[in-house]
Amino acid sequence: MTERTVLCVDTADDIETISAAVSGEESLTPVEATSVTQATETVESESVDCVVTEYDLEDGSGLEIVEALREEQPQTPVVLFTGARPGEIDTASFEEMVVEYLNRDLPDAADRLGFVVDDVITHSAQVGFLAPDDEGSRLEALAEYDVDGMPIEESFSRLTDLIASHFDAAVAFIGLIEEEKEDFLACTGADWDSLTREDTICTHSMLQEDVMVVEDINEDKRFANNDKLHNLDIVSYAGANMTTDDGQIIGQVCLIDHEPRQYDESQKQDLQDFADTAMEILDLRQQLLDAKRTEVDA
Amino acid sequence: MSLSTGSGFTADSLGLDPIDDGTSVLLTGEDSDALEAVFYRLTAPRDDEKAVLLATDADGRSVKQSLGRAERGADDRAAVLTCAGPAQGDDVRTVEDVSDLTGLGMQFSTLLAEATGEVDDFRAGILLCSTIMSEVEDTRSVYRFLNSNFLSELRRSKALGVCAVDTSADIGSDVTSTITGMKTSFSAHVEVESAGRNRATLDVSGLPGNDGTVDVSW
Repeated sequence: MTERTVLCVDTADDIETISAAVSGEESLTPVEATSVTQATETVESESVDCVVTEYDLEDGSGLEIVEALREEQPQTPVVLFTGARPGEIDTASFEEMVVEYLNRDLPDAADRLGFVVDDVITHSAQVGFLAPDDEGSRLEALAEYDVDGMPIEESFSRLTDLIASHFDAAVAFIGLIEEEKEDFLACTGADWDSLTREDTICTHSMLQEDVMVVEDINEDKRFANNDKLHNLDIVSYAGANMTTDDGQIIGQVCLIDHEPRQYDESQKQDLQDFADTAMEILDLRQQLLDAKRTEVDA
Repeated sequence: MSLSTGSGFTADSLGLDPIDDGTSVLLTGEDSDALEAVFYRLTAPRDDEKAVLLATDADGRSVKQSLGRAERGADDRAAVLTCAGPAQGDDVRTVEDVSDLTGLGMQFSTLLAEATGEVDDFRAGILLCSTIMSEVEDTRSVYRFLNSNFLSELRRSKALGVCAVDTSADIGSDVTSTITGMKTSFSAHVEVESAGRNRATLDVSGLPGNDGTVDVSW
């Protein structure tokens, strides 16, 4: 069973309540902090799977920790475990800090806390994107491809060179969409390795049946306030699905430009053809790898 | 941890077979009257149920009246969190700012937790998610809210959830693309098209026994 680290934050007098409740779940390992400062330092220096925090702390509020966490680890879930009623919590400066709220004064609150923490981690319950209903099957399909074990980078790099040239695009890339991030297997025009999934446009594009075009991210609230996209100088986007024979969408072939841009139907079809080609290359490489391993085993 | 009896949720006033526990329904349409009428008929609680509704544009009193028209006595079995109107007793609570998703989420979760403690089966609804999307600057926050405070609650409690989106609203992004994406995260989709006064055609997918086109009137 995978160990999951949970940052537990409360005053020195009460921290034991949260830690004990969390450690009651076999898979959860509590890490303690007794102040906003200490908790903020922790989320800035180490990865945690979940944060459980009291609202009233000696040097500030639990929502300040959420603010720091969203900067460092935006997809990590938070449970606000507090006796303060929702109406008593000052949310004025934290209006988009969605958290799980659990009233610790409820009779079964401590018993319920471990279950809730385990659930929000297991189901990525606070991510800023919508995952497909069959996400588990999709990830299983993706795991069938041993990308690290195959020499795919050169093939894909040649392909993204061709794609960028064909469309005269600033950037062309091939990315596989993992549970929490997108890994770029090849990227022409930029030096990108991976991006947190909720920051990618591909996590939206993969839900569309057809090629998705965003002519100008500044005109779309799904992307307009995404600093990561702006920092990468992304203005326009077009993405086509890489779909397995079983119908699971595991990746995207995409075009990026640094200015608003439109694509006509013919260009969209070309991009989809490139995505189908990338999928065929990936399938053939995997079949070759499987054949070699079978040969060695024999 | 499931608290449901597993009996399913009736929706006979819409001519639908009972809906499975834990179903999340994305309800879309561009005629707001028809959309609301179908929403209340899906979320009105029956005798042994409760409903918890988040109303972005209507006050608690009008929400309860609409529920009462959809199902006799349903108004007495509903708790409403409204962004548009005064609080009334324990059953109608308010959030001043619809874009305050932190406060909205905590209040909504509290009402859902209270309902879970009172009955085995409850219905939860959001009318209108499109209003939230139009008011919030970053759609990622709306998705975080839906994941954390709505879809998670439905998964854990096996409730019936209905999230209504007015597709004629300006949500600040491509509405067709947004709906296409949202559909993949909900277990069912019901598209409402007005067919005249007090009549609509429902295009249903993801509800076993109900998929296809259904003509309804009220």
